[in-house]
Amino acid sequence: MDETTTGHIQELRRGTVVLACLIRLRTPDYGYALLESLNGLGILVDANTLYPLLRRLEKQGLLSSEWNTEEARPRKFYRTSPTGEQLAAALTTDWRRIDDALSRLETDSDTGEAR
Amino acid sequence: MNTLTDRYVWAAARTLPETQRAEFGRELRERIGDVIDARVERGAAPADAEHAALVELGDPVQLAASYIDRPLQLIGPKYFLAWWRLLKLLLVIVVPISAAGLLLAQLIAGADIGEMIGTTIGTTLSVGVHLCFWVTLVFAVLERSPGSSVPVTTWTPEQLPQPRDDARAGRLGDLIASVVFLVLFAIAIVWQQSGAIWIDGERQPIPVLDPALWSFWIPWFLGLIVLEIAFAIVIYLRGWTWVMAGLNVLLNVAFAVPALWLFLSGQLFAPEFVEAIGWPWGEASGVTVAVFVFAVIGVTLWDIVDGFLKAARNRGGSALGRY
Repeated sequence: MDETTTGHIQELRRGTVVLACLIRLRTPDYGYALLESLNGLGILVDANTLYPLLRRLEKQGLLSSEWNTEEARPRKFYRTSPTGEQLAAALTTDWRRIDDALSRLETDSDTGEAR
Repeated sequence: MNTLTDRYVWAAARTLPETQRAEFGRELRERIGDVIDARVERGAAPADAEHAALVELGDPVQLAASYIDRPLQLIGPKYFLAWWRLLKLLLVIVVPISAAGLLLAQLIAGADIGEMIGTTIGTTLSVGVHLCFWVTLVFAVLERSPGSSVPVTTWTPEQLPQPRDDARAGRLGDLIASVVFLVLFAIAIVWQQSGAIWIDGERQPIPVLDPALWSFWIPWFLGLIVLEIAFAIVIYLRGWTWVMAGLNVLLNVAFAVPALWLFLSGQLFAPEFVEAIGWPWGEASGVTVAVFVFAVIGVTLWDIVDGFLKAARNRGGSALGRY
């Protein structure tokens, strides 16, 4: 893939990572597990993006966190906060709206070509 | 012994504010530990896995900056234009004023010409460098002060510049040439006073112009040079008009007529100078004098005619050129 395409795809994905985290963290999890599960689902995100993002979302009160010290190594578990839920709802609505709009655009241009 | 991880965490954490270090260190250890575990699971040796994990994380300072949104540029887009405009404005105003002030102060103090030029250039350069440094420092600190939103002036349509006056831009070259020439000329007149002749590499205290002229005529010529500079600036701003071409005639006459009269009556050059350079003043003097007189008259006439030509062109040109 050439550089321009990669750049645009990254830009398109940037906001969706936030939404994906907010939805995924309704069940608490720690950074590495979240990274693995998101990438497993095909939401491709880089560790260097995800960890700072988690920290920022926590600072904004969209995630709450708790240290789990029961295992061999302590891990910080994040969970979507009520504010985070509200944001997730708003983002989802917007995502749907954009998807609808794009689909309509596609159909319109298809019929336009057919004419 | 400290592990690579310990060293990495320490290197990254020390660039953070102290209150955030402990929590950040813990988070980073978790992240590194998880990456190492994953690599070991895939069959890597623990030492190799740690090394590879840290390579993946990259420069610790950059990593820490990404965690706390610290800017990794000196001045970011928020302040760049404000910084750039202020810097240009200050340089344009402060540097020439300080240069002129320095020159004046040294003229009054009676410094010799070489020292005057050297000090002025040196000090002006350091004024410029200081200006750039301090302005940039202030903006770089602003960039790094979290939460402080200094009101950067918002742009309004009133700030739009007038489309560039191409005619004026074209005259800028003339202005620079005139001012440089006139300033050098004035400096030469002052400088020749303490000798312009070297014999065996030693400067002789022989002035070119007759020192008696300092009582009136040299100040007269220096005053004319100042007027000529003012005239050149007005030409740059307003362009040539018939009035300006007329004034140009007066200025030229005020310069050339006394110069020629002084020359022809033998008062212009210092007798020692004429003697020192072995001027063929005697029998062959007719030719030298004629060349000198023709050169002065020629240059003067050309300058006068040039003024009228430009005034005429400007009249025709401006009506078409403006819109």
